[in-house]
Amino acid sequence: MRALTYQGPYRVQVEQKPDPRIEHPQDVVLKVTRSGICGSDLHLLHGLVPDTRVGCTFGHEFTGVVEEVGGEVSQLKKGDRVVVPFNISCGTCFYCQRGLTGNCENSNPGSDVASGVYGYSHTTGGFDGGQAEYVRVPFADVGPMKIPDGMDDESVLFLSDILPTGYQAAEMGEIKGGETVVVFGAGPVGLFAMKSAWLMGAGRVVAVDHLPYRLEFARRFANVETVDFKRVGDIVLHLKELFEGRGPDVCIDAVGMEAEGSRAHRVLGLGLKLEAGAPTVIQWCINCVRKGGNISIIGVYGPPWNFIPIGTAMNKGLTLRMNQANTRRYMPHLLEHIQKGRIDPKAIITHRFPLEEAPDAYELFSDKQDGCIKCVLMPHGHA
Amino acid sequence: MPQKTPRKPGAAKPRAKSKPKPTDIAVDLDPSQRPGVPMETAPQPLAGARVPIASQHADVPVYKHAGRKQMPPVFGTAQPPRGLSGLLRRAAYAKPDHHPGHWVLLLLADRVDVWEHRVKRSLPWAAPSAVVLAAGLMWRARRA
Repeated sequence: MRALTYQGPYRVQVEQKPDPRIEHPQDVVLKVTRSGICGSDLHLLHGLVPDTRVGCTFGHEFTGVVEEVGGEVSQLKKGDRVVVPFNISCGTCFYCQRGLTGNCENSNPGSDVASGVYGYSHTTGGFDGGQAEYVRVPFADVGPMKIPDGMDDESVLFLSDILPTGYQAAEMGEIKGGETVVVFGAGPVGLFAMKSAWLMGAGRVVAVDHLPYRLEFARRFANVETVDFKRVGDIVLHLKELFEGRGPDVCIDAVGMEAEGSRAHRVLGLGLKLEAGAPTVIQWCINCVRKGGNISIIGVYGPPWNFIPIGTAMNKGLTLRMNQANTRRYMPHLLEHIQKGRIDPKAIITHRFPLEEAPDAYELFSDKQDGCIKCVLMPHGHA
Repeated sequence: MPQKTPRKPGAAKPRAKSKPKPTDIAVDLDPSQRPGVPMETAPQPLAGARVPIASQHADVPVYKHAGRKQMPPVFGTAQPPRGLSGLLRRAAYAKPDHHPGHWVLLLLADRVDVWEHRVKRSLPWAAPSAVVLAAGLMWRARRA
């Protein structure tokens, strides 16, 4: 089959690879119909995630058609159309039984930091991802959700990751009605966090980014106020001032380890690798949220550590909540929102590419060219 | 419940500045209706889950970090370790994942892996070029 493969930092190519096969009786093999390029794929591309091996196929947001079925799979059959959560979850372990499917302990031998994830290095289990013609999907009766008849793949594609992730981000902010919410990062996850904050009854939502086209998109897509942090001097003081000198009730980090805004963190984290990326946004969140406020972190940070002002967080009495999204539990609820027209996930797709042009898509997305918000690959064309 | 930041008397209602669509407002206001509240639920298997889970077999080396007692029943078998980078990865996984050395060795292995592949990719043209160059140097040395 044809698949995107990692060739080293900043280099990917599309090449021939062996087809995936059933390796466990609860597996299926999917023919991939749509595959998103996620902001967190850029951390892999940029060589920031440990144990990203040459030849790895990225891609943890995908839909597909069941092509081959393992002996113990009972809920799916050949030809079913499904959308697949990015976490690989057994459904029976200590964590899955408690709804924490993003923390499944039965799919990742490489580390305890996360469950297995498709196409996200051997640190999350060593599974190839969906930026390919075909992909192996373990625990097929637990994770994948059948796509309702009459819905196209792109309408539900983002139930695989970024929509539940954005929703969980707002949920972890513990919005109970009328709160002021600042979302750092106006990328796809941030946009869905903004929409979700409204759904939960936020009183005011402000997006912070430095890319004018993304802020403009956030204003249109999520009806939020926006702040360009490169134009306001000190962003912490600006946000405090915006919220009566105290700061917002809730801050959401939808940026992660490659944040702009602090030369020191970029040198230490991205240049010298003395910390796992640049935790600039966590620092901003801790410093600008009001005392007793909530911080929700769904931006991705790598192991082993980051320099963040935890003493300030303690003294301000903050609540910090974070996790990989427990994607599967959100899918039915968010599907209903899509069907009722409350969220139109497809509206964030700005670029579509055939699989063979995936390296161009990565370049465009990574360099934020051409007003790019979200790229989607079509491994089998428009079908 | 956290207290909301009070607004200045007479200030415009913030919502007026960023008005959402009417259909978007507060349909999930009640936390008990949100799928992830509470984040940790009473234990029960997920729909479709099957026990016991058969153990996957692999015909390639797959490492687990030293902090885990057993291999999980399911794992990826993509890109098995090989070469010098494979040895470095084996050393990394001999350490539990809370040891910084585990991650430092993996990052080092990643860089070595890239160079191994570059050398391997260059062999089809580099090896003949090296032979020709060596032959040329020997011929020149004999003439001198």
